[in-house]
Amino acid sequence: MIKVKDVTKRFGNITAVDRACFSLNAGESLALLGVNGAGKSTLIKCVLGILDYSGEITLNGLNIKENEKEAKSLAGYVPQEPLFYDMRTRDVLGFFGSIRRVRSSRVDEVLDLVGLREHERKSTSELSGGMRQRLSFAIALLSDPEVLILDEPTSNLDAGARGDFLNLIKEYKNKGKTVLFSSHRLDEVDLLADRALFMESGKVVFEGRPENLQELLGLKININLVVPQGSVERAIGILAREGFHNAESNGRGLNIETDSKQRVDVLKKLLQEEIPISDFKIQEPSMENIIDRIKENGY
Amino acid sequence: MDIKNVLLIVRKEAGESIKNRWFLLYTICFSLLALLVLFLASSRSEIAGYSGFGKTAASLINLVLLFVPLIALVTGAISISSERENGTLSYLLSHPITKSEIFVGKFIGTLIPIWFSISLGFGLAGVGVAIGGGEGDVSKYITTAFLSALLAASLLSIGLLVSVYSKRASKSIGIAVFLWLLFIILGDLGIMGTTVAMGLGIEQVFALALLNPAEVFKIASVLALSPRFEILGPVGIYAVRTFGKEGVFYLLFGIMLLWTLIPLGYAYLAFTRFRKEEI
Repeated sequence: MIKVKDVTKRFGNITAVDRACFSLNAGESLALLGVNGAGKSTLIKCVLGILDYSGEITLNGLNIKENEKEAKSLAGYVPQEPLFYDMRTRDVLGFFGSIRRVRSSRVDEVLDLVGLREHERKSTSELSGGMRQRLSFAIALLSDPEVLILDEPTSNLDAGARGDFLNLIKEYKNKGKTVLFSSHRLDEVDLLADRALFMESGKVVFEGRPENLQELLGLKININLVVPQGSVERAIGILAREGFHNAESNGRGLNIETDSKQRVDVLKKLLQEEIPISDFKIQEPSMENIIDRIKENGY
Repeated sequence: MDIKNVLLIVRKEAGESIKNRWFLLYTICFSLLALLVLFLASSRSEIAGYSGFGKTAASLINLVLLFVPLIALVTGAISISSERENGTLSYLLSHPITKSEIFVGKFIGTLIPIWFSISLGFGLAGVGVAIGGGEGDVSKYITTAFLSALLAASLLSIGLLVSVYSKRASKSIGIAVFLWLLFIILGDLGIMGTTVAMGLGIEQVFALALLNPAEVFKIASVLALSPRFEILGPVGIYAVRTFGKEGVFYLLFGIMLLWTLIPLGYAYLAFTRFRKEEI
């Protein structure tokens, strides 16, 4: 569906994307990962034909440079920050629907699909961040495209809006559509991606499947538990007995470093032993940690 | 180029202009001042050989020179730079629409509201003249309105060229205001100063005047209206004697067209070809 071959993009002396190569089959989902400035957004803009580049990009066999309109018609795009003209929600959909030559009833369909029906008469400037992102998603879905391209779509959303939005993408993916998205969150990759591609300084440095990514790279998560001071030592002892040796007191409770897959086991064991957990937080490995690990392992 | 896409952009741009309070303020001011000019002009029976439509048109020339270039330059200057700055241009280009369609749509879509406000000003004043008896040649009045529309097109093209080369709207507005000062306020002074300082001949002064679209508009409008071209001074007399009255008018008309087409064509090429990096 998408083929990217030796794509390079330079801004003056800066090489934002350096000979990137990847392919994405129909119905597949690919995550572009990397720290800010890694070249993810630039590569996405090249795939969409927004930026000029050297190399070759095809969408469904159509070269984006030679068949600009036809290729662009195949993809729906959700930018990192939704940007609209100062129009009513419905009019924005009507405007982009006209560019994409969709029937007018499609506007109603996507309004219902993303749950914006009751806000259709509001100006885009009156919409919340989550609603704006849903509107952006609705625009991307107008022509029911084969490919959905999303550039860090949840980076500006709060936890609730983020969950809702990820479910919308998941539903779309489950219909057998192709999804290309950039992110710096591993949990989104776990949820949505069939494959993940890491970028650093414009280069693709690693490609793998999300399910064995953490295992392959030996990445650990950090679980912070809030427990009463009197139970901390007992909790550490229970965890040590069960094989979780990287547990230590942190003043408010304890920190446990473990594999991502074992996060539930940790909580289960402590609750079974009636350790009173009043709160918990899970810290995923940062993108910097992952890139460092990729470099260390020489992938 | 898909005309349907062009028309979509035209509609969007025109709609945004009409909703813009600065544009509304400009239209209202221009129309009210046009009516004021009509009132003042009608208080004297004849000014410099003009009467009725001719007198009102002659009075409107200075109003046009002050207002039309400013709104056309600024509107053109922000049309692309503001969208580039806030990211909507990049988003629009992710859809099946080309830069050519966007550019043409923007030019037409921003020109129509400016033409509308010019038409409104000239129209209201024209109706006023007609109600008051409608003396004079109405075709000369229409010619002045037409030249004003052409002036708007040429300065909008220059504004668009500024916009294509500006990353930020604030920068493009600054350049547009500077050009307005250069063309309108400093134009005459510049010609006079250069003439005195360099001891230019009459033909060189005439050539110098052609480098300023506002000056070209002024001379063409006066020539179109006046039975007495001597009011243009020695340069006007030289031009009319050299090219003939009609010849000068068509020369000036042609130069105004060039002032529209050259910046517009260059801005188009820069936007669609030379500056692909700048989204």
